[in-house]
Amino acid sequence: MVGLSEGEKHFIRGGIAQDIRTDGRRRLQFRALSVETGVIPQANGSARVRLGATEIIASVKAELGKPSILHPDKGKVSIFVDCSPTAEPTFEGRGSEELSAELSVALQRCLLGGKSGAGAAIDLSSLIVVEGKVCWDLYIDGLVVSSDGNLLDALATAIKVALSDTGLPKVNVSLSAASDEEPEVDVSDEEFLQFDTSSVPVIITLTKVGRHYIVDATSEEESQMSSAVSVSVNRNGQICGLTKRGGAGLDPSVIFDMISVARHASQQFIALVDSQIAAAEADE
Amino acid sequence: MEYVDPLTGFRVDGRRPNEMRKLKGEVGVVARADGSALFEMGNTRVIAAVYGPREVQNKGQQVNSKEALVRCEYRMAEFSTGDRRRKPKGDRRSTEISLVIRQTMEASILTHLMPRSQIDIFVQVLQADGGTRSACINAATLALADAGIPMRDIVTSCSAGYLCSTPLLDLNYLEDSAGGADVTVGILAKMDKVTLLQMDAKLAMDTFENVMGLAIEGCKAIATYIREVLLENTKRLECQRG
Amino acid sequence: MRDLHLSLNQTQRVRLEAALHELQSLTPAAASAAAVTVADTIPVNQEDNILKGHGTSDQDGEVVATLCGVVERVNKLVYVRTLRARYKPEVGDIIVGRVIEIAPKRWRLEINFSQDAVLMLSSMNLPDGIQRRRTAVDELNMRSIFEENDVICAEVRGFQHDGSLHLQARSEKYGKLERGQLLTVPPYLVKRKKQHFHHLAQYDVDLILGCNGFIWVGEHVVVDEKVKATEDQQKSSDEAENFTPLETRKHICRLANAVRVLSALGFTLTVELIIETAEASASSNVEVNDMLGAEFYVQTAEREAKRRADLLRKKNGAR
Repeated sequence: MVGLSEGEKHFIRGGIAQDIRTDGRRRLQFRALSVETGVIPQANGSARVRLGATEIIASVKAELGKPSILHPDKGKVSIFVDCSPTAEPTFEGRGSEELSAELSVALQRCLLGGKSGAGAAIDLSSLIVVEGKVCWDLYIDGLVVSSDGNLLDALATAIKVALSDTGLPKVNVSLSAASDEEPEVDVSDEEFLQFDTSSVPVIITLTKVGRHYIVDATSEEESQMSSAVSVSVNRNGQICGLTKRGGAGLDPSVIFDMISVARHASQQFIALVDSQIAAAEADE
Repeated sequence: MEYVDPLTGFRVDGRRPNEMRKLKGEVGVVARADGSALFEMGNTRVIAAVYGPREVQNKGQQVNSKEALVRCEYRMAEFSTGDRRRKPKGDRRSTEISLVIRQTMEASILTHLMPRSQIDIFVQVLQADGGTRSACINAATLALADAGIPMRDIVTSCSAGYLCSTPLLDLNYLEDSAGGADVTVGILAKMDKVTLLQMDAKLAMDTFENVMGLAIEGCKAIATYIREVLLENTKRLECQRG
Repeated sequence: MRDLHLSLNQTQRVRLEAALHELQSLTPAAASAAAVTVADTIPVNQEDNILKGHGTSDQDGEVVATLCGVVERVNKLVYVRTLRARYKPEVGDIIVGRVIEIAPKRWRLEINFSQDAVLMLSSMNLPDGIQRRRTAVDELNMRSIFEENDVICAEVRGFQHDGSLHLQARSEKYGKLERGQLLTVPPYLVKRKKQHFHHLAQYDVDLILGCNGFIWVGEHVVVDEKVKATEDQQKSSDEAENFTPLETRKHICRLANAVRVLSALGFTLTVELIIETAEASASSNVEVNDMLGAEFYVQTAEREAKRRADLLRKKNGAR
């Protein structure tokens, strides 16, 4: 990330205070969003999302596996993020490990709910094939191809679109097996069950610069932040997860204010993402 | 398994033995990089990004200050292969391929024209279906040309194998893992010189000559395609410039 | 469409294709024919002693291109003019750079070249303006003149015998740039002209087109006030009063977005074109942010096609 001079930083702060940022956006305005589905034909579902100059490719792969003993009625989902060095030369080698880990954990927290699987955005019990024996393991992978700020929001959007593109093959279970044997499963090549993503949330990150908050910060604006709050909101306006980054302490009233601003912004963003998904599906 | 149908002569994916997969090359896919390209060979899809020539970041790595330092990293996305495996970065295969790509491109880049600088080539595999090494080299060539880095010649690469007593051009993953030989060749297209040659499994000498000859033919066809892509791109930029 | 990944609807796509097609037809055929890629042979008359310039090399007696670009022939010199490539410095170029490092008696600047450029302490005016020998105290106070990450405007002085590029910033018009934004465009879009500093009085904005592709759009700074301004800034603690006025900021953002759109379309950047694009957006009531949208993108392409067609017609009519 290139550094900024004092004069430039001053200009950016002034822009945010006056509600006209360096590219002319208002504080609560997102950059141009473009969405494509089915970019990785080998995966069960995939998407490429561009938010300004940030570009993310997300893929969802489903494999049959065994549910864990603690939760025999739930499937498993894991989320991993990788930052490609094509986005930033500093991501080469192990340079991106910390950032990838931070993004993966933040996404897991927002989308997968608590340890017991309660409150997960993806209904884990819908992934069960044979209770206690066979379930679907979903592997969700996000790849950052190009980076210009606001990676978390873009990743969450890419995952949401990829899930909407995902089709799980229909599985026919032969009932002849005894209760302690492994049942035979026949994975259909023809029929697919489309994933229900109506409850998958989006993440809105609010970056606080000076006294004001902005959404969808570019990497230049992110370098100016005193703190950032990422709020995960679903279609019903419910909060699904919350992360605060940055060292500066925030007054609790400010945090509540930021949450309500995020909720408000999220409704427009969800509508935008849904319309883009519909357009992408119509294109296919 | 019949990799080549004895009656029709078609391969598993419907190609003839000396037919290459569908090629697609595009430059300028990563905005921030000095040069970038996307290259597809059938289902194998690769992005290359070039950063440089720029100031050497780590003086300790610079061996010869009269030439540019060329560095390369090869990465596969977790979702790139059919069965999803958590690929640790820096595993041996990635390191080897990074080295191979670097040496192949170094043979062509006129490093003495850019002393005291470094050129970084980053290759990211999005989808792997056999021939990733070749696709990476082809993508790197496009990206280097897009970045305006002077090169001796266009470097292209292609693989060929031998199954069911037939030399096959451009193996996909299925054919590659069938147990027959896999010969990967990289050439300097116009100068007609081989810069990369790798083979696994075993072949009789004259069979090997046939297979290598087939791979070189493939490389030349790719060179023609790459040249077209670059020429088209240059013309377009010149027209728009005004 | 490198930097702005826009989703165009069907009509916009058709219009854009038509505009680009027209631009193509306006280019003289000779230019298209002279395009080469790496390893293409450049046709030369072997008897003339042709000088092989940039981007060419001798292979087996043939002149072969080592870069993608357009072949230019000037008298006996044949060279390849590249399009997308890093900046190639020439003595006297005005450039904009960013300080990367402060080294003994010099600053290192990033200028989109294959190496960092060097600005010697002796090539820079001292704050008190007196011409004197630089002392050790001056060396310790280098940070008070330029710090890390500062944006500086300077001129290319030349290459030293050890191959490093040296800059100089002795004149009053060079120096630190504050209160504005820095944009990066491919260097081939900035033509070398007589003037690179443009004070746009109607907007009260400074526009500097660096030959290295770094473009500065910022508040206008009156030259003699520069020295005073640095002292004032250190005193004022309340920032809000110091922010750029809203009107000026709007103009700065409009001009910056005009530069972004033009560079995404690959059009050569001239002051006139940038101002024209910004004015067109203002007069058609396009929001500053919407200048980066699909509709304005297509409109700008159409406008440019028309402008070049008119220019060509005038040139042909005048003959």
